[in-house]
Amino acid sequence: MNGETSGWDRDQAIPVAAKLVSLLETLPERSVARVSMAGIERMDASFAAEAIVEVIGRFRKSKGICLVDLSNKAIRLNIDLVAERMGIPVTVWNGAEVEVIGLKPSAGNREALDYALARAEVRTATFADVAGISIANASTKFKQLWEQGFLMRIEGAADSGGVEFLYRRIG
Amino acid sequence: MATSALIGECTLELQGSWVDAWKFEKALMRCGDALGSLYHTIVIRVPSGCSLMIDVIIRLLSFCNQAVACTKRVRLEFGEASRALGYLNRIGFFDHLAPAVEVTPHRPIFSGAAIHRGGNRGLVEIERFSPDKPVEQNLVPRLVAAVTRGCSARSDVTEIGDAMYSIFGELVKNVFDHSRTNLDAYAALQTYPQGNRVTVAVSDSGIGILSSLRPALRGGKWDNLSDVDLVVEIFREGISSKPEDKRGMGLKSSARHAIGFRADLDVRLLNQRVLLKPSNNEYQPNMAYSQDQLPLLWGTHIAFSFKLD
Repeated sequence: MNGETSGWDRDQAIPVAAKLVSLLETLPERSVARVSMAGIERMDASFAAEAIVEVIGRFRKSKGICLVDLSNKAIRLNIDLVAERMGIPVTVWNGAEVEVIGLKPSAGNREALDYALARAEVRTATFADVAGISIANASTKFKQLWEQGFLMRIEGAADSGGVEFLYRRIG
Repeated sequence: MATSALIGECTLELQGSWVDAWKFEKALMRCGDALGSLYHTIVIRVPSGCSLMIDVIIRLLSFCNQAVACTKRVRLEFGEASRALGYLNRIGFFDHLAPAVEVTPHRPIFSGAAIHRGGNRGLVEIERFSPDKPVEQNLVPRLVAAVTRGCSARSDVTEIGDAMYSIFGELVKNVFDHSRTNLDAYAALQTYPQGNRVTVAVSDSGIGILSSLRPALRGGKWDNLSDVDLVVEIFREGISSKPEDKRGMGLKSSARHAIGFRADLDVRLLNQRVLLKPSNNEYQPNMAYSQDQLPLLWGTHIAFSFKLD
């Protein structure tokens, strides 16, 4: 934030967003960026929308961006409110705890998301087995969660020798 | 029926005790449509024992300045040894009152606010800002600093300050988005001695948020809502005049921060007043107390009253 500890309104956020975007563009595809909120004392909803949530949404499906050191309740609430309105999920890590604020998953995808957040990587077939649903059904759920920005997706080798998608929480 | 000593003159008679927003409205109703075309002179009587809540003070300030802008003669009469006069001077009321308003027995010679600015933990001077000028970057931090000064003994003072930053930020932005006037707007707050109650208030003299929003909502899902229900939704859903701009939170953000402190929300519009009390962690239409067909007061006047325990 160019040395500032508080951010108010969209005008102040635009240069910060531009700086963050240019940094993220230098990272290879499917990499993860952990954005620290340490030292940020104040941030209103308009600033959070432009400088944080919009940027996370812009890279969904291509790069995983999560927030860390978000202990300030008021800033967390502002990010949560604008991200929900903008339809963008935001992954937040508090130490070893992970949660997603902003966009809520659909009721049908909630269990799949909780399962994925609780572990480093998920195979569709494993979740299908645990949840007692078909692999096709599980695959649809994870694909939706990836498209919406809740999870990352990487290509792995299936037991059959073909390509299998693996899903990872962000961060 | 309102009685007038003189044709064309009306009197706003305040009570000789604490005057909150409800009592202020009752006095306005007894006075009649003071800002309407019937009257050319408005007398405002503030008796000796009268004490005014901070939200009432900036509504009264806006009312006086609106009346002067409508070319009316306004006389503010204080009772003998009035404690309200000293308090209003201390918080800068007369610094912002249109010079054309007559004050009896007389306007204070020195501004108490200018002398003592920032010196008392329990109160803050009225802050003026103009919707047609760029917002001063220090305005919101100054208001927040006043709240944290007033609540400095509390262990959650940092959280309170953080929430106030968002609340004042949104309220001030709302004035810029919706007031459409060149009359000044005001922000003020009062913290109470033990720091367990805080009232924050912002008043403008514009066209009112409903008049500003209604045209943009025509034909949409909010169009059929009553005024009271629409006010509730403005704070619950963050209805914006630019629905395509999903980044605008409107007043929802301020309400969500205030709900965390179980704040009552009082909104005065041109002819309505709505008092919202939190229920199930949100403001709901069935917990709204509303008054319709009130005498005209231009603008949007919003007050949050926090109970900190």
